[in-house]
Amino acid sequence: MTTTDRPRISLLGTSALLFEAPGAFDLPHQRRIWALAATASKWPGIREAIPGITNMMLTFETPPRELDALIAALNDGWDAADSLAIGGREIRLPVTYGGEIGSSLQSVADHCGLSVDDVVSIHAAPLYTVFALGSHPGYCYLGGMDPRITMPRRQTPLQRSAGGSVSIGGSQTGISASPGPSGWHAIGHTSWTFFDPSWPTPAALAPGDTIRFEIERVIR
Amino acid sequence: MIEILSVTGPASVQDLGRFDQYRFGVGTSGAMDDVALRAGNILVGNDENAAGIEIPMLPFKLRFGRGMAFALTGADVEAEIAGRVIPPWWRSHARAGDILTIKAMPRGARLYLTVGGGIDVPMVLGSRSTQFRGEFGGWRGRPLQPGDILPCAVSTSTIGELGVEPAEITLARPNTGADETIVRVVIAGEYDGFDAATQALFWSSSWKITPQSNRYGYRLQGPAVKPKAPIEKRSHGIVPGVIQIPPNGQPIIQMRDAQTSGGYPKIATVIGADLWRVGQARLGSRLRFEQTAYADALAAEAEMSVYLDRLRTNVRLVEESRTCR
Amino acid sequence: MPIELTDIARLAQILERSGVDTIEIEEPGQSLKLVVDTGPRMAVSPTLAVPADDHSVVAKADVAGHFLAAHPWRDKPLVAQGQCIEAGAIVGLVKIGLLYAPIVAPAAGTVDAVIAEPGATIGYGTPVVRIRTLS
Repeated sequence: MTTTDRPRISLLGTSALLFEAPGAFDLPHQRRIWALAATASKWPGIREAIPGITNMMLTFETPPRELDALIAALNDGWDAADSLAIGGREIRLPVTYGGEIGSSLQSVADHCGLSVDDVVSIHAAPLYTVFALGSHPGYCYLGGMDPRITMPRRQTPLQRSAGGSVSIGGSQTGISASPGPSGWHAIGHTSWTFFDPSWPTPAALAPGDTIRFEIERVIR
Repeated sequence: MIEILSVTGPASVQDLGRFDQYRFGVGTSGAMDDVALRAGNILVGNDENAAGIEIPMLPFKLRFGRGMAFALTGADVEAEIAGRVIPPWWRSHARAGDILTIKAMPRGARLYLTVGGGIDVPMVLGSRSTQFRGEFGGWRGRPLQPGDILPCAVSTSTIGELGVEPAEITLARPNTGADETIVRVVIAGEYDGFDAATQALFWSSSWKITPQSNRYGYRLQGPAVKPKAPIEKRSHGIVPGVIQIPPNGQPIIQMRDAQTSGGYPKIATVIGADLWRVGQARLGSRLRFEQTAYADALAAEAEMSVYLDRLRTNVRLVEESRTCR
Repeated sequence: MPIELTDIARLAQILERSGVDTIEIEEPGQSLKLVVDTGPRMAVSPTLAVPADDHSVVAKADVAGHFLAAHPWRDKPLVAQGQCIEAGAIVGLVKIGLLYAPIVAPAAGTVDAVIAEPGATIGYGTPVVRIRTLS
C-alpha cells in the first residue's frame, strides 16, 4: 500500500486535528467519513467530530498529551469504518431560478454553452446529498451536481450575496443559509429556512439528508 | 443595565466563545483577546466566561443605569468615569447615571469592558457571544448601536479600585521589537508543500497587518509565499489561528468570526496561548511567526493557566486584606 | 501553619490602634517583623517648613508592595508637584504581585511632594504623597 492510499492526519494548532481520507470525492468515501465521525465523537477528550468533504476535523475538549494513540485510533477507525448509509430525509426545495438574486443564471448558461432552460433542468434533475455542514451556520455542501454546469469560482468574491441563494462554485452547488460574502455564482433562490438557533437542532439539514430542487419559476 | 450613548466601529458582546457547534457550521466567535476578557472578569468577581463588551474603535460612550463594578482591560486606554481618569487594566465603580467616556486607545487594538455580574444577554447555543453571520447571540446578533440598553446581572462583588499589570507586560515574549508582535505557531497540513526557501521566507519575514483585517481574519502583506505546486483542498474544518495561503501568496490568519471550513493550503496555526497577541496587534503593525512544537504549545497553554490562577489568587488576597480593615 | 496576608493586615491594624510600632513573630521556618510607619505624624511635624495655618494631608498606601509613581504604560507620573487634584484622585500605585492597588488622595488640594521613592518597598500606612488642602 503506498502512502497516498493512507489517510493524512495533520494538526490545527492544539485545539483540533484534521483527518483526510484517501480516494475520490464520492458518496461511498463520504459514508465512511460519517461512520468514522460517529465513532470518533464518542472518544474521550473529543469535543466534536465534524465531517468535511471526504475529511473530518476533531476538536479537543482537552488536547491529548501524546498524539500517537489518537493517530493510531483514527487509522484503525478508518480501516474499520463501514459505509454508514444515513437514512436521511428527502427535502423538496422550491427554487426560483434567475431574477435579481439568481442573476448569474445567464452567465452560467453562456459559460457552459447551454440555454437557460437547460441549465435549470440540469440543475434541478439530480437528487443531491448533503455531504457536510460548514462555512457558516446551516450551510450545506451538496454532492451530486451534473458536471455539465460546472463554472469556476469568481476571481473576486461578492461582498454580499443574499441568504437563500442557490449557487454554483466549480463542480459543486449549495444554498447559502444567510447573507454574506460569496465567491460562487447565484442562479436562483429559495425562501426556505436552513438555520434557527432556537430549534432543538439548529440546522435544518444534516449530513445524509437529500435535496431535490423543484422549479417554482424561471425568471429570464 | 447600561445604555450605549455613542459607538464607533463594530463593538459587540462577547464571552470566551461557542466551542461545540462546528457540526452545524457555527464558528467560535468570542473575545479576540481572551486573556483580557478573563482578567476583566476576574477583577469584577465574575466567572471568566461572563460576557463583556469588545470595543475595537473609539470614541465610545455609555451610561450606567445603576451602581456597579466595571473593569477596562485589553488595549491601553484614555478613559474617564464621571470626570475621573481611569488607568489601563483597571477596575472601578460606577454610580447610577455615571457616564463612561473612552476617548483613545494609545496601544493595542481591542478594549474589553466587563461589569460585575456580566452582560446578561441570553445564552444562545451555549454562549453569549455575538455570531455576526448567523445574526444571533450577543445583543440581538449584531454590533452595538447608540440607544441599546444592555441588561447586567446582579453581582455582589467588592468594588474598590484595583488594577492589574497588563498581560502584555507579565507575559512579554523575548525579542519583541517595537511595533512587531511575535507569535508562536505549530506547522499545519500543507507546510511540506512549500520548498525550504519559501518556508524560510515565511519564518524570516515581518508580516504587515493590512487594513483588511478584522474579527474574521487578518490579511497579511509581505513577500509572496507560494507552494511548490498549486494546492486545491476539499473543503474541511478550520479553527481560529489557522494561517492559510491563498493563491496570491499573502497569508490570512483566521480569527474568531472565520468561516468554519476552507480549502486554501494551511502553512501553520497560531497557538491558543498566543492568539490574543494577534487580537491586540494593530492594523499597520507587523507580525512574525516562531515555530513551536506541539508539546511546547501545550506547555505554553499550561503557563497561561498558571498565570490566570495566580491572578485569581492575587485578587482574592488583596480583596481579603482590604475587607478585614 | 503559614502566615496569611490577611493575618498580617489584621496584625498591622492591631498595632496601629494600640500604639505599638513594632512586632516580631517567629515560628519554625518563618519569621515576620511588622513596623508601623509613623510617617503621617511626621509629615505634619513642625520641623517641616510649612506655615502653621496650612492644612496638609497625606495619601498613604493601604497595602504593602512596591511604589509606582507612574503606570508602566505611561511616561508621566500620576501626579507631579504643584498639580491640583480632586479628593479620591489616584496619586500612585502599589504593585503587589500582579496587581496595582491605588493610593488615593484623601482630600482635594495641591500636590506638595511625592514622598515615596519609585520602586521602594512600602507598607500599610506608608505616606506616599503630601497634599496641601485648599482651605
